[in-house]
Amino acid sequence: MQYLLLIYDNDAETDPAALQEIVAAHMRLGAELAETGARVGGNRLRPADTATTVRTEGGVKSLHDGPYAETREQLGGYYLIEAADLDAAIGWAKKIPGGPNYSIEVRPIWPLS
Amino acid sequence: MDAEALLDEAVREAGDRIRAALAMRFRDLDMAEDAFGFAALRAVETWRRDGAPRDPAAWLYAVARRRAFDLGRRAQVRERAVHDAPEPIPDPETILMAAFEPIPDERLRLIFICCHPALAPEARIALTLRTLCGLSVERIARAWLTTEVAMTQRLTRAKRKIRDAAIRFEIPEPDQWPERLEAVLATLEIAYAQAYEDAAGVSDAADLARESLRLSGLLAELLPDEPEVLGLAAMIRLAESRRPARLDDLGAMTPLSEQDVGLWDAGLIRDAAGLLRRAADLRRSGPYQLMAAIHATHAARRETGATAWGDVVTLYDILLAVRPSAVAEVNRAVALAEAEGAEAGFQALAAIDAPARLAEWLPYQAARAGLCAKAGRQAEAADALRRALALHPAPAERLFLQRRLADLGKTA
Repeated sequence: MQYLLLIYDNDAETDPAALQEIVAAHMRLGAELAETGARVGGNRLRPADTATTVRTEGGVKSLHDGPYAETREQLGGYYLIEAADLDAAIGWAKKIPGGPNYSIEVRPIWPLS
Repeated sequence: MDAEALLDEAVREAGDRIRAALAMRFRDLDMAEDAFGFAALRAVETWRRDGAPRDPAAWLYAVARRRAFDLGRRAQVRERAVHDAPEPIPDPETILMAAFEPIPDERLRLIFICCHPALAPEARIALTLRTLCGLSVERIARAWLTTEVAMTQRLTRAKRKIRDAAIRFEIPEPDQWPERLEAVLATLEIAYAQAYEDAAGVSDAADLARESLRLSGLLAELLPDEPEVLGLAAMIRLAESRRPARLDDLGAMTPLSEQDVGLWDAGLIRDAAGLLRRAADLRRSGPYQLMAAIHATHAARRETGATAWGDVVTLYDILLAVRPSAVAEVNRAVALAEAEGAEAGFQALAAIDAPARLAEWLPYQAARAGLCAKAGRQAEAADALRRALALHPAPAERLFLQRRLADLGKTA
């Protein structure tokens, strides 16, 4: 069973020194995921102000400068993992490092049969 | 005994066990529910015609199991889009001949699934009452003041999440145990709070209270070495022991300090004392044991004739240190007024943070009214009573508050 772990955080909140430590912690987590065979993929994303949203309304497509939703916390990265069940996926989600305030959304992958 | 009475008895005694065994065996809550419903329906007609089976519970389990197999097979056939001739539903009599297997006890696993912390608290309660206790959706909807349609959607969403997000049908791993157990305890606590709220509770809340007693007792039986589980079971028993004394002859709420202790249920108090002793032996304290201890201190009035209010205050102090809450702070202030005088209680109540949210909270206004009246602040007491009455109290509490307001008018 695969899960996407989406990291929502606020870049502006984290000071550069702390950020360095968080990046290092991500590297360690990535190694641990790879070691246990749980790692399928994952990446850090460029800040939300680099995002472009392609919106379709009434069948008409238009471009918007910015992320899908303007919220305080933004999608900053993700891990795609293999886990036996939701508890195991939540276990990994709790290990994802970050600043003082951030959220991890755990979403099961809907397999293409 | 006629077939229907026999079925009622079998469902009452073994329904939760059968439902749990089916859910675990087929890893599908919907299918378990359908299959059990089917078996219950078949039971009445078959037993009426052929006489009672030797073991009604085993009969129900065997028929439901067979039904679930068929439902599963048909679902697979549908998915593969192969159009076989439909399977005839097996005659229950042939199943009678099939070997009965003992009904495994899967209730603990089912409780952990229904109360998974990844499900919203209200969904956990509904799922537990529906899946384990077999309460009707309509009944659960009524208890949580929502429509049957909305409650059905909530249950459907929860069951879909269990399936699609792969919530495992297993006892949690040791590293998840504390969080998962906490979610179970919180679920039962909220379910009971709903039953407790209605002081009348003779008809409508009675079944919820009964299920809370049963579920917490079951959990204490299944997890005898978890002191907080024993604490919760004790707490519910102690609170429930006072139910017969909570209304006066006119249907008005009687506050704890004015209740006739002779009406308290001595059996429930005794059960709770035993549970608390066992919990204490395990030497791991926690909020549920503390809350039960507070109830037990009140219950002791039945024997001693007086309440040790100083002990109650101390217990609230410890409780607030491990689990801060506005409810506990308000109750502590009321206890403090009894232990050290009305003014001390009044000051403690006034010192509670977040007064804006508290102002809209009925128990706070009721407590404020009581403390103000005791402290001789009649105008403030009347104001608090009027605010409380505006917050939609239940009929029994409304009567009580109205009476207090009338009494104030006499003394002023």
